[in-house]
Amino acid sequence: MTVDDASTMRQMVAFTLKSAGHDVLQAQDGRDALNQLTNRQVDLVITDVNMPNMNGIELTRELRKLPHMQRTPILILTTESEQKRKMEGRSAGATGWIVKPFDQQSLLQVVGKVLP
Amino acid sequence: MNEDIQKQLVQDFVEESLEGLERFDQELLALENGASTGETLNNIFRIIHTVKGTSGCLGLTKIESLSHVGENLLVKVRDGELEAHQSMITTLLTFSDALQNMMASLSNHGNEGDTDHTGLKAELERLLSAESATEPAKSVQPQEPTIQEKPQEQDEKVSESKVPEDESISTTAAKAPDNPDDTKAQEQCWGLYDDEPEAEDTSSKAQEQRWGIFDESGESDTSKAIESEPQSQPSENSEPPISTIKKETDSEAKTQENKSVAEGSIRVDVNHLDRLMNLVGELVLSRNQIVQRVSNYEDSALQSACQRLNLIATELQEGVMKTRMQPIGNVWQKFPRVVRDVSLELSKKVRLDMVGKETDLDRTLIEAIKDPLTHIVRNAIDHGIETPAERANNGKSEEGILLLRAYHEGGQVNIEIIDDGKGIDPEKIKLKAVEKALISHEEAGRMNDRDAFALVFQPGFSTAPKVTNLSGRGVGMDVVKTNIEKIGGSVDIQSEFGQGTTIKIKIPLTLAIIPALIVTSASERFAIPQVSLLELVRLDGDDVNKAIEFIDGTPVYRLRGNLLPLVYLNKELKIDHENENDLDCVNIVVLKADGRSFGLIVDEINDTEEIVVKPLAKQLKGLQAFAGATIMGDGHVALILDVLGLAQHAHVITEVGSKSAFDNQEDRSNAGDDKHTMLLFEAGDNHRLALPLSLVDRLEEFDKEIIEHSGESEVVQYRGQILPLIRVQNYVNTFSNENSSTANDDTMQVVVYSENGRSVGLIVGNIKDIVEESLEVKHLTSSRGLSGSAVIQDHVTDLLDVRDIIAQADPDFFIEKNESIV
Repeated sequence: MTVDDASTMRQMVAFTLKSAGHDVLQAQDGRDALNQLTNRQVDLVITDVNMPNMNGIELTRELRKLPHMQRTPILILTTESEQKRKMEGRSAGATGWIVKPFDQQSLLQVVGKVLP
Repeated sequence: MNEDIQKQLVQDFVEESLEGLERFDQELLALENGASTGETLNNIFRIIHTVKGTSGCLGLTKIESLSHVGENLLVKVRDGELEAHQSMITTLLTFSDALQNMMASLSNHGNEGDTDHTGLKAELERLLSAESATEPAKSVQPQEPTIQEKPQEQDEKVSESKVPEDESISTTAAKAPDNPDDTKAQEQCWGLYDDEPEAEDTSSKAQEQRWGIFDESGESDTSKAIESEPQSQPSENSEPPISTIKKETDSEAKTQENKSVAEGSIRVDVNHLDRLMNLVGELVLSRNQIVQRVSNYEDSALQSACQRLNLIATELQEGVMKTRMQPIGNVWQKFPRVVRDVSLELSKKVRLDMVGKETDLDRTLIEAIKDPLTHIVRNAIDHGIETPAERANNGKSEEGILLLRAYHEGGQVNIEIIDDGKGIDPEKIKLKAVEKALISHEEAGRMNDRDAFALVFQPGFSTAPKVTNLSGRGVGMDVVKTNIEKIGGSVDIQSEFGQGTTIKIKIPLTLAIIPALIVTSASERFAIPQVSLLELVRLDGDDVNKAIEFIDGTPVYRLRGNLLPLVYLNKELKIDHENENDLDCVNIVVLKADGRSFGLIVDEINDTEEIVVKPLAKQLKGLQAFAGATIMGDGHVALILDVLGLAQHAHVITEVGSKSAFDNQEDRSNAGDDKHTMLLFEAGDNHRLALPLSLVDRLEEFDKEIIEHSGESEVVQYRGQILPLIRVQNYVNTFSNENSSTANDDTMQVVVYSENGRSVGLIVGNIKDIVEESLEVKHLTSSRGLSGSAVIQDHVTDLLDVRDIIAQADPDFFIEKNESIV
């Protein structure tokens, strides 16, 4: 699942993942993602950090509270100016981080790493 | 990345960002007005943050680098380290403009444009550094949950300022080498936390890395994660529109409220809507053809199927039209900014109020009114609202009020721009107009205020003593008027000297399907848009030759004491006319164009019909007299007349002072003169009654045979509806009811009165005449159904109180209307 309030960004991640043969769900903010994932399992969550309603760090923390999401890899998308967020991501239970802007190869690399 | 996808993404990005930037402007203004909430600062920041992030991923370096500088500033503002003062907001608005320009260029030319933004960047950086000297030691982020914060400001600052602007970001270029494990540091843009040492080190390392994985102590961790993961692959491939389930907790209610519109909607390409509209238009046309054909058959099953088709097509048409509707608030959104800029420049204080933002109209019209409205708003501040000092002198509050109001009325949208400024001095206008030789001294003397105000719409008129940056550049109100009339609308100006000015714009809801009158001239059919239509006059018998006079070779007709210039459609269009001399009747279609009226003579008046407007081909666009074409029920094409163009072509509306019958008449009644246009009729024997023509929706003649009964009342089927009938003579005290003239004829004459979509027919006996008279009304207290009496055409005539009679006959007629409003 890709979580981002910017639809272009979402499309971009979704497109990249689809091109690598994955099915992709989309959510427009943390709350939306949480709602969708409450009764649903995914293999990977890639979430933006700065979003309205519920940010990516909060989302990570909430997702980790769900029994079926304990082990699901969660990648957070940050910008260079948000180094601090990386630390927050770690303590919230995220699996890894990607700096925006990224290119497709990098995204697929990290995805390849965290997926089986 | 696939080029098409890249293109699509860029287009999405432009749309998304433009929307965001519009919100950005609004939030900034809210901030300036002190109307900010806790979320405001965060929203402002997030919008730019998103633009920056996305533009980076799309390889749009210019946008990225500019938004990056802005973002840096906004971080400080959000975190409370800098305060947003007026000059900063001005710069930020300029910054937003610059981004919007680049978006526009991206959308139009496929690149970011070559505007140089170094000055702007410098300005943003200056604002940033100006006060960051006093930067507090610890940055607090109010909106975010506070997580145990390690002292990292140092790192943060470094990383923030160091990002090189020319960093090459390309979505196509593979940044990371093939083997990711070799090159983790410099080139990578992701990471797993477990690869990294704990705590402090991370941040310094993270600066160089472009990704990380929190948890990559070895292969085991990732595999561990996977092992425990249930197998379920997300099977559904969900599409972009996001389903959102709302949880109704109190804390969320607020933030979700203002998003409610967005969540229940999806984006649709405008071209799809246009195509859909076009198809529906075609469907309506085929429907018309089928309905026409089917009426020749007696097959009742076919008839009822056709009825259904008819209904469904109508509903479909309405439905599709609705999808193209947009709230007028979309145009108004930018006005707070316009008002701010203009009033700042002129050192005026202006408060902008907006009422009826949600009023819908067709998107093509939204586009079309954008510029005229902006011009009027600027004008209102520039010419209308006074400086604070002047206002204080006149006993007004220093802050001027500009009110934008929109509402639906009778199938039209009304937009009013109301200011409480100094108003317009009619004498000054006249003086100016004489000076510019737009009117003569004599005309100026005769002119009433209303006509004087209308002068501001004359080309070449501008009262601004000096040309300011904003208005008075010659492209004035005449352009506004032309543009609005181009879309079938009208502009009206009212002003109270010293009190303020109201500009009222009326525009139709849509342009695609319009009601029109079909006429025939020289065996060709033409459609005349109903908005231009005033009335139809038919001359029979002797009148054919006598009533049409010639002044200077121009044919005119005396209509209720006023001269109406006439235009022969067949001569004007130079189409042949075989039987010119043996006319036994003349049909005059009275039309208004540019505020003046003229009569168009046609051979035959056919019917009114909803027509679908098809634009003319390029080669024919230049023809002044035609506005488009439509396909008629029988499959033939009819040209739609451009009434304004036709009038100009025939030179009937070029002179300024020679306004004809209807405007004067309208002016008089509106100006409060006691001249009224009355419909004269008889009920019973020689009982002369009159009612104001303005209350009459239509005049109809019905066969007595078609009267049906519903309950106790008489009704007729009329235009697909049931029209209740009221016999006027039963409700007024008429002296001799017995031999009333209506009783003997086979037909009856009915005045149709409509209010709020409900109609009622008044059976009035014989209609005598329509007169324009100054009325001296003597009020009679005892007579029911009458509001008084007056002498009209030398006879005592009772004035009918239409509403009272209707209320007597059907007490619910008006009451229900009230309820529906509440």
